[in-house]
Amino acid sequence: MKKIAMMLFIAGALSATLSAKNWVIDQKGKTFIPSKLTVHVGDTITFKNSDPFAHNAYTDDESNEFDVGMQPTGKETKMTVNAKESFNIECAIHPNMLLEVTVE
Amino acid sequence: MIVKLGLSVLLVSSALLATADMNKWLRPSEVPQPKDNKLTKERIELGKLLYFDVRLSGNEKVSCATCHHPKRGWTDLVPVSKAVGAGRGPRNSPTVLNTVYLRKLFWDGRAKSLEQQALGPIKADVEMNMPLDVLIPKLQKIQGYVTLFNKAYPNEGGITNKTLAKAIASFERTVVSTKAPFDAFAMGNKKAISKKAIKGYELFIGKAHCADCHDKFNFTDGSFHNIGLKDGDLQGKDLGRYNLKRRATWYGVFKTPTLRDITKSAPYFHDGSVKTLTEAATICASGGRYKNGVKNKSTYIEDRHLTQTEISQVVAFMKTLTGPDMKLEIPTKFPQ
Repeated sequence: MKKIAMMLFIAGALSATLSAKNWVIDQKGKTFIPSKLTVHVGDTITFKNSDPFAHNAYTDDESNEFDVGMQPTGKETKMTVNAKESFNIECAIHPNMLLEVTVE
Repeated sequence: MIVKLGLSVLLVSSALLATADMNKWLRPSEVPQPKDNKLTKERIELGKLLYFDVRLSGNEKVSCATCHHPKRGWTDLVPVSKAVGAGRGPRNSPTVLNTVYLRKLFWDGRAKSLEQQALGPIKADVEMNMPLDVLIPKLQKIQGYVTLFNKAYPNEGGITNKTLAKAIASFERTVVSTKAPFDAFAMGNKKAISKKAIKGYELFIGKAHCADCHDKFNFTDGSFHNIGLKDGDLQGKDLGRYNLKRRATWYGVFKTPTLRDITKSAPYFHDGSVKTLTEAATICASGGRYKNGVKNKSTYIEDRHLTQTEISQVVAFMKTLTGPDMKLEIPTKFPQ
């Protein structure tokens, strides 16, 4: 019985990991493209800076808090969605940039 | 040979201008307005009275207009403003012009709207030094204001912190730049600005990289940078947006100001330390006043290797962003 429970647990965890998706957000023209995203816990979001100058991506949401720091042109950074709580991502340099992330 | 070279330069310049997206410099069709504070004639007029009324300050000698006057580029033309009490504030008065287009207000961006911004200077002891719990009852005793607030904001509780902020913000939303020579140029009149200024424009969007931050109609993208005005790690100095939250990318950063009507609003930068556009352009285009050892200096600020001639061309272009003063009747009588 314990073995079956353990196997089911491992299968579940493995399934979640395998189904986790990576989303790519482009920082271009001083905007996040796309500007809205629907994700699941465990998904990752990759920020790709396609502009010819530096950007940043951060959120102050406590459950998913992160800050990629200064992100030079051409650089990619990644964050993982840890909690089922929707949040906004902004650029610390460009206040007009906003990415709305809905976590389902 | 010289004629051929001249024609070639002219053709290249024309091609550069033809491919540039001139539409992004044009005025937006609408002024942004929040849903709960749409502009009305009553709100604008009320806001204007409040803006110029010295009774809103602790010593009844200072109004919003004292530091942000329409005849002084909507600033006060001094490096840092004089407070109601002794001493001066730490920062240069930013222009009110075109703040309607900004998402963050103040040099450090701590306010997210004109409504959030409006009451800050009134309360601040380094500015108007008037607590709101003193000001609101004072205004409520002025029947003229009671009537005007009820007309502008019916069913909103009369004179409150909220309606006071909304009224002042409503007036500030009308403070917008007029048509400047560059606007005529952007709309197709290629003779609207001088050849020197055209060359300056080409540098502005090209080699000088000014447009990386001074972008679109308002000639600012509202971004935050540390441009190397101060050296070292700024200990004991103004840390800018870093004072809001200890985020590494905010260390020593301040908001990019508009270049609209820039000739009217000297001195420049958050500390008012720069008197001329030539000096301002030189600092930005040469890698900052301090080139090395500046903590968190913006990667946008690099030495672009502009010559003195090119700097003067950029400045000539910047001067084309100044238009006539907006029409405004400054109130001389206030509600009683």
